[in-house]
Order: sequence, then C-alpha cells, then structure tokens
Amino acid sequence: MRTKTVAGLLMLTGLSMATLSISGAAQAADIGRIKTVTGAVTVVRGSASTPAAVGQVLQVSDVIKTGADGRAGVTFADNSRFAVGPNSSVALSQFEFDDTTHVGKSLTTVDRGTLGVVSGQIAHENKDAMKVRTPTSLLAARGTRFVVDVTP
Amino acid sequence: MLALTACSTPGQVALLRDEDGKVGAVAVSDPKTGAERGQLTAPNTQAGLRPGPLKPKPLTTNYDALLTVMPPAPRVFTLYFANGTTLTAESEKTLEELRRIVTPASEVQITGHTDTIGDGLSNDRLSLERATQVRSALVAQGLPVANAKVTGRGERELKVQTPDNVSEAANRRVEVIIR
Repeated sequence: MRTKTVAGLLMLTGLSMATLSISGAAQAADIGRIKTVTGAVTVVRGSASTPAAVGQVLQVSDVIKTGADGRAGVTFADNSRFAVGPNSSVALSQFEFDDTTHVGKSLTTVDRGTLGVVSGQIAHENKDAMKVRTPTSLLAARGTRFVVDVTP
Repeated sequence: MLALTACSTPGQVALLRDEDGKVGAVAVSDPKTGAERGQLTAPNTQAGLRPGPLKPKPLTTNYDALLTVMPPAPRVFTLYFANGTTLTAESEKTLEELRRIVTPASEVQITGHTDTIGDGLSNDRLSLERATQVRSALVAQGLPVANAKVTGRGERELKVQTPDNVSEAANRRVEVIIR
C-alpha cells in the first residue's frame, strides 16, 4: 500500500526513472550513524549545529566536532568505522557506496584532533578509494586500521 | 595567529594491527601535487605528516583511549528453520542471544531464505515471513522498526545448491547482520 502511494506520488510529480535513481541516492545519503557519544559532541549540518545523539543518522558534508572531553564512535554504510577523539573537527566530505557492488569512494577531512579509522568495503573493493585529508596530507587506506592525529 | 599555528600542525599517522590480526597499509601523498611521500606498511608504526619522504618509526603514542569509542565490527548470525516459520531449537537460542545484543541504536539487516520445496512465488513470500518474524522478535526487544531492514530472497540464494523441490535444512534460514 505504501509502495503504491510512493509510486503515485512519483507519477504526480511527473518524474519516473530519474526520480527513482534520485530517491536511491537520497537513501544512500544516509551514510552512517553515531554509535557512541561521550562528553561534548556536536554534528554540524549546513548552518545548524546539534548535540550528537546515539543512533543519529549522518549525511555527506556533516561535520563531527568534539570538545575537550568529547569522543564519538561512528559506523558507515560500507562497514567502515570511526573513533573521533577530543578537540576534533572531522568532515564527511564525500561518501558514495553501492551496497550491491561494494564500489564507492569516501573522503574525510580532519582539520584538527584525532581520528581512528577501521576501513570497510569501499577500501576493500578499491585500495585507494577511502581517503582522509589533513591540513598537510592526503592519506589512502589500503584495508586497515589506523589513526590520523592532527593535534598540536 | 593562533589559527595559523593550528593550521600548520602537521600531525602524524599511525598504523595499527587490524582487529582480526591482519595489517593493511596507509599511503601518504601531497594534497597539492598528488605525489606519494611513502607508506606505512608495518603494524604499530607511526610517521609525521610533514612535506618530504615519509619516515616510519615504531609507535610511541598511545591511542588506547581513542579506540575505546571505536564501534565493534558488524556481527553476522544465521537462524535456521525446522519448517515454515518455526525455528530449530538451536536457533531459538541464537535468537535469544540476538535479543540480548540489539539496542535501540542497532542497525539490523534481516534477510530470509528458503529451500527449493514449493514454487518461487510462495518461497518469496515465506522468506519474507521468516525475516519479518525475526524482526518482530527484535522490535519487541526495543529495536526501532526503522532500524531493521527486512528482505525476502526466496530460493534465489541457496546456501547449499540443490535441484528444485528438495528439502534442505541449510537453506531454510534467515541471515541477520547487526551493525
């Protein structure tokens, strides 16, 4: 019944396959979730900044910011995982993932702080597809667990 | 001035042993030119992120506190059915374990399968019923329905390949991935 309503809406808006692929992309826009939060953690989306909550859905371009006592754990659609340390700013600059083919790419920007990474299916499928950017470097994960540390 | 100082912090990268004992690699390149400065390939090594060739050295920074917030790896479970939507006694225990593991923050992918007894269409229906039944058990435990994705694959993805109309216990199953 719900499917029918959605199909009806698609017809009403006069969009067919194009919309379907967009709605697929919109679903993929749900790229990850906050799993653990300790201390001060906020998620910045556009101009809005909200306190991070366990279970919160993340989208491309979201920025995770932590205070001096803040830490956060995040999981992504490709099964990659992040541990964000205190005094950090971590932007989810790019994330594309096809859960059927496992092809995708991601770019995470660490402006400051620490980021622990366990790579997932994106890096497994294509060894240079998961990247982390720091102010001075571009890192490519080749199937691994690592830490990026941009603390003074 | 302060911002300038913060921006010029080169920082470092550390390569750790994977949770399953394997070791990958991290390649470091110059963001402007794309030129590769080097790679970390040995476990428990670190290197500064300054311009110039990467100089790996043994890990001296302790990241244990950071890694305490790393979410656990996704876990995969398989539940088997005696017939219809009745779980085997063994899988009833697995379902009990699942009930203990899920939290309101869990994301769960539940995929139902059948053996090749009966026609494709009714197996599609049965596989979805199996998956939905497992979801109901977890939702009763506090898992939000929105966090549980249910799919029925019918007889398309046999665990054990059989001809049509063969009863095969290994194929009557629901796979559950908890993230």
